[in-house]
Amino acid sequence: MALLSKQERRHFPDWDDPTQCIFHRVTVDLDKCDGCKLCTLVCPANVLELYQESGRKKARVKTSQRGCISCNNCRAICANGAIGATQANDFVGYYRQLGRGTFALPRNF
Amino acid sequence: MAESNAAIALEDPERVETEAGRVSKIIEIPEGAAWNVVEEVMLQRRSIRKYKRRQVPAHLIRRMLEVGRYAPSQGNCQPWKFVVVRDAEMIQGMEDACVAACKKLSSALDYASYPKGSAKHFITRAKAKLFNRLQPNMLHPVPMTVVTAIAEGRFAVFHRAPTVILLLMDKRGIGTPEIDIGICGTNIVLAAQSFGLGTCWVGFAKFLTRSPEWCARLGVEPPYELSEAITVGYPIGEPTRLIARDTHEITWFEGGKRNTLY
Repeated sequence: MALLSKQERRHFPDWDDPTQCIFHRVTVDLDKCDGCKLCTLVCPANVLELYQESGRKKARVKTSQRGCISCNNCRAICANGAIGATQANDFVGYYRQLGRGTFALPRNF
Repeated sequence: MAESNAAIALEDPERVETEAGRVSKIIEIPEGAAWNVVEEVMLQRRSIRKYKRRQVPAHLIRRMLEVGRYAPSQGNCQPWKFVVVRDAEMIQGMEDACVAACKKLSSALDYASYPKGSAKHFITRAKAKLFNRLQPNMLHPVPMTVVTAIAEGRFAVFHRAPTVILLLMDKRGIGTPEIDIGICGTNIVLAAQSFGLGTCWVGFAKFLTRSPEWCARLGVEPPYELSEAITVGYPIGEPTRLIARDTHEITWFEGGKRNTLY
């Protein structure tokens, strides 16, 4: 029993095709964001920005999240826990992820 | 020879200890106990990609390299050499060399930067697919988006860090020296974390080897290869929130049974 089919092993997904390469998606909870700007500063790919609609400035993800490497540094720096991720990297074919369970924080055994 | 080996195998190690009067203590750790200091350092480490401008004291870099020097390696071959760069101008020069290499690679292989249906898209995609087969680890979709980001100046290779440590590998090392370099670097990175420093592994540093001038200046010449770089600096803010990570399949054989855990 092969974990990857012959077809999958031959298929290198197109990285510009969102049905084949689904990239990690970052989200900002505007109720929790206090506009401290640190997430926009620590993002190595520069995909977060501050904007102002009414009242306080808030962080948001730029229109294109291309370059995001799902490093999660924005989430680690946010004191209010305002940043989340709706989607982890997911690929079809050769790069399909194997043997993963659910996400978990460090567990005490 | 076979006889004496059998004798060693039959010896009860605990009896030898007792007879020698040197019984070693066993640390009992109850189930569910809190993390110890080493685990805390390991769990709180994350790859830091933005740093304060303040330089890291030289003696801390020396301390990190000391624990690197004590890393395990195959056949105790210690296949490493360190290059420490602490001049902003020189790091910028290294950055420029990597950007130049990324520009070439991006325009040759990143079809996502050309409109779908165009001739450029078609040609670069065909080249990328071929390259994918030859070097599937190098042309993964994630680093490829970064190569283009570096080429377009949206992503810094060395993260504007005040100190960069280059790990050079002696390719004559025993077995798989790449693994030894990884273990050595892990020691370095964990020591840095324990000093309150941030680090990041930079595989893209390999782009430096495309430049003969940089190879000569940094001493990257046979039998040494540039394996990885580690950037070091004080992190911005307090990047301490733990993020849930993937759990991975664990196959567990015990008591004649095979279990799958996560």
